[in-house]
Amino acid sequence: MNVNHSKWPEPQSQGEGGRPLRKGKLKIYLGYASGVGKTYAMLSAAQIQKDQGRDVAVGFLDSGCWPETEALAAGLERIPARKEPVREFDLDAALKRRPRLLLLDELSHVNAPGSRHRYRYQDVEEILRAGIDVSTTLDVQHLESLKDVVLNAAGISVEDRVPDHFFDMAFQVQLVDVDPEELFSRRREKRKRDPACQEPLFENRKNLAALREIALRRLAEWISRSSESIGKPLVPEAGEHLLICLSGAPSNEKVIRTAARMAEAFHSGFTALYVETPDSERMDEESRRRLRENRRLAEELGAKMATVFGGDVAAQIAEYAKVSRVSKIVIGRSAPSRHFFLPEKTLTDRLSQLAPDMDVYVIPNQKNSSQHRNRRLRMGERLSWKDLGKTLFLLLLVSLVGLGFYRAGFSEANMITVYLLGVLFVSIWTSTWIYGILASLASVLLFNFLFTVPRFSFRFYDASYPVTFLIMMSASLLASSLTMRVKGQAVLEARKAYRTEVLLETSQRLQEASQPETALQTMAEQMQKLLDRPVLFYLPGENKELEEPLIFRIKDRPFQSAYTGEEERAVALWVYRNDKHAGATTNTLSGAKLLYLSVRGQKSVLAVAGIVMEGYPEMDAFVKNLLLAMLDQYGLMLDKISSDREKQKAESRAQQEALRANLLRAISHDLRTPLTSISGNADILIRNSKMLDEEKKQAIYANINDDAIWLVNLVENLLAVTRIENGAMAIHMEPELMDEIFHEALHHLDRNISEHQLSVELSDDLLMAQMDARLIVQVLINLINNAVKYTPAGSHIQLKAEKKEDWVLVQVADDGQGIPDEAKLKIFDMFYTANNDWGDGRRSLGLGLALCKSIVTSHGGKIGVKDHFPHGAVFYFTLQSAEVEL
Amino acid sequence: MNKPLILVVEDDTAVSSLITTTLETQSYQYHTAKNGAAAILDAVTYHPDVILLDLGLPDMDGVEIIKKVRGWSNTPVIVVSARSEDRDKVEALDAGADDYLTKPFSVDELLARLRVALRRVRYDGQKTNQESSQYENGDLKIDYAAGCVYREGREIHLPPIEYRLLCLLAKNTGKVLTYNYILKEVWGNALPSDTPSLRVFMATLRKKIEPVPSEPRYIQTHIGIGYRMLRVSENS
Repeated sequence: MNVNHSKWPEPQSQGEGGRPLRKGKLKIYLGYASGVGKTYAMLSAAQIQKDQGRDVAVGFLDSGCWPETEALAAGLERIPARKEPVREFDLDAALKRRPRLLLLDELSHVNAPGSRHRYRYQDVEEILRAGIDVSTTLDVQHLESLKDVVLNAAGISVEDRVPDHFFDMAFQVQLVDVDPEELFSRRREKRKRDPACQEPLFENRKNLAALREIALRRLAEWISRSSESIGKPLVPEAGEHLLICLSGAPSNEKVIRTAARMAEAFHSGFTALYVETPDSERMDEESRRRLRENRRLAEELGAKMATVFGGDVAAQIAEYAKVSRVSKIVIGRSAPSRHFFLPEKTLTDRLSQLAPDMDVYVIPNQKNSSQHRNRRLRMGERLSWKDLGKTLFLLLLVSLVGLGFYRAGFSEANMITVYLLGVLFVSIWTSTWIYGILASLASVLLFNFLFTVPRFSFRFYDASYPVTFLIMMSASLLASSLTMRVKGQAVLEARKAYRTEVLLETSQRLQEASQPETALQTMAEQMQKLLDRPVLFYLPGENKELEEPLIFRIKDRPFQSAYTGEEERAVALWVYRNDKHAGATTNTLSGAKLLYLSVRGQKSVLAVAGIVMEGYPEMDAFVKNLLLAMLDQYGLMLDKISSDREKQKAESRAQQEALRANLLRAISHDLRTPLTSISGNADILIRNSKMLDEEKKQAIYANINDDAIWLVNLVENLLAVTRIENGAMAIHMEPELMDEIFHEALHHLDRNISEHQLSVELSDDLLMAQMDARLIVQVLINLINNAVKYTPAGSHIQLKAEKKEDWVLVQVADDGQGIPDEAKLKIFDMFYTANNDWGDGRRSLGLGLALCKSIVTSHGGKIGVKDHFPHGAVFYFTLQSAEVEL
Repeated sequence: MNKPLILVVEDDTAVSSLITTTLETQSYQYHTAKNGAAAILDAVTYHPDVILLDLGLPDMDGVEIIKKVRGWSNTPVIVVSARSEDRDKVEALDAGADDYLTKPFSVDELLARLRVALRRVRYDGQKTNQESSQYENGDLKIDYAAGCVYREGREIHLPPIEYRLLCLLAKNTGKVLTYNYILKEVWGNALPSDTPSLRVFMATLRKKIEPVPSEPRYIQTHIGIGYRMLRVSENS
């Protein structure tokens, strides 16, 4: 029976050689045991595809005990396997070959050390990303979430597993199924034929039936899931969200798998929460490793990861669950925790108390006792001579004080208090609670030995002493336990504060950065602060390549050139192209010396950060989370900077658009007047030339000339406007001598200038400023012409330039009537014209000063007007001064 | 000397007639061409003293004409164009034009430019007959052999760069030299970063050779384009 299910119709064929527009499609041949004929089915289908003209290649095939599959693969192109260090699928060769369809046997395979990825499914992921379709085979017991189920149903445990989300994203799943009876007989036959070939697993008929059932069920799940997800991304249904707690306990793995299956069944979101407690610090190596594994497992099963900090696990879970709208909590069954004299309820009870409206699922666990054993083991590791010395010293000290009290004839109660004080100090000054307990015991013994009658013996006469000892013991144990807790809280608080501080500082400093370069610098500094090791950044360049790395060294920390060698760069490039973390301490390309993390923006990878791992301790979860949060912030910031720039561009475009519209309106209106005058006057001259006397004619000539010059000036201004409008590109800044600029401007002035007294004053003949000469000359012409136009004949006009720090200040001063204050504000607005009192029809577009303003502003300078003493106006503007190196 | 012959290359009738009317008032001889092909033909046929050239012609770009004419003739070319961008001017000048004039222009300006160009032609004509180891222009005298510069008979001392600058301008009297050209000739390269230095050297050079530096007689500035040495006429 072959069941073939497909989410979508067969894909449209795609242009050969072109860049992939889509991801490749994954087809999985699912079976319940080896020998059912998965590879056989895959190869037969491939042969058909090949006959239809599809470009098919075999990536890797392990025909093992089934020679008939090998025969079936005949005629198919095979990508040569890597030989070193062992025969293995060659990912790079496959990517280079780029077939349309790649066949790859055994999805659950674990790659040999030295491969790019640890697992084959990661290889497949990369191939799919490259736009190549993949067909592969999988036995159901290799699915991550089914490990426990398989273990229970068939009593088999397998090591190499494939995450469920990977299975679920398959485009097609084809179940390859035979009756267990038939499979069994097939195997028996083969064993007869070839005794060397052993099929080691699932010999038992009952097991096979169980596995078959699991496979069928899993397929049914996949179908229901995929039929729902057609046409829409898989989003958790509103209201359902599952939470599990991560720990380093061996039982945690089972909790994670169960929860993943539940999440699957509920179609809900799924968060894995890790509560970091004071105890986490003292976790032993084994638990740490397990915790890491569990994290990875949860992530692979599709969980969202979260970490919180706090001493009270139950409270933290409840708090997180409330805040993030979790509806169901899945935890393992835990034994009551053993705090001295504070017998706590189990986590389950506390949770139901703290979050009464939440469903709490408890997963049974057989390995429960191991936690306590672990704790005892841990204690042994942490004993240090230093702490023991401190304890002994304190005990000696309090005993001496006690002896002093005894001499002075104080009551025994005082000595007990002194010992309690001693225990308190021991608890504060030592690193584990064991010294507190030791001190408590020793205190009771010492008290007994030194002060109870008979003294200097462990015997006592008074019958009330046992009670005294008991109370003393309890009090000191309680004191020690409480002190340790407070200390633990303080450490946690400090870490939390540190984390918040680093994050805050990072975000604050990133906020200040307005340039991508400064943001990068900030980010590198913050990372160095956190990690105390060199970091480097790769920025994207042309054609999906990376630019030369930017290295941020640290004093006294060696930086080898190998850190930026060819191999390391290849890893960085892989991270950039695939948007996945890789390098040292990860599953991908783990041979690298650095860990590479991608900085993600909204649309693409904006940078790749490299962190030297070789010779440095591995980052703990806390630091890694912090780092990822910082990189996220950095990505956001880069996005913000670029979107700000976009916005600015859009704004200035809108402004230019408005300017253009206003301009056109003004021009079409104001051009008519001088044109009417010119054409009218010319008409008169043509028709009535003989009737006009010479004086009249001269007047008409002068009119035509004046209007024409006015038009010429207008055209110059309009040209300047269009250059500004075209944006900064058209402004060509160069250092220019102010002297030359003044000359040029004076050369183009109105003829009326002769009626005014003009003087020029330059502080330095070699004064230079950055400018687009033509535009600034236009500004000067407009300003001087204005001064000529709006002051009575005979007025003085002074042109001045001087250096003020980094700026050149240019002034055009007149001693006319000056400008009223209310006009000063509007004078630079477009289409503002002074309501002059002369009424002699001087025309103005009201464009001149507005243009001056936009020119000066686009030069980065300022323009303004102020009163001249004793009367008149001073127009001034600034330009960046230029220095010349000769 | 004969009346100078001016070739006017201009496709717009109104502007063409404005120019020819102006030339008539000065009793210059002239010939007009309305397109590029005719212009080149006329330039070969008539050997004009000066060519007035419009850049925007119907059949070819004016810059092409300049390049072609420069292939066999040293006739001064004054570009008359409505293109006012510095880039266009520099392109025309680098192609070999002597001067440019932007539309709209005044009649006075046009005549002044013509006079400058004609003076150059006349001077070049004389120069071939006499020793060219000396340069004389108004009160300014350069002795190329001795490497000395005199103003009003007195020697003035110039640092090497200024001297080279002056010689370059002097040898191209009447022609507008672009910044790029000057940089290439004097500095040996044309890095845009050197233009500020060029301006400073030019300003100091002017101070030394101009009687009144604020009203330069010898060296004219063309903002955004370059510089030009003018021939100071004996009577001015």
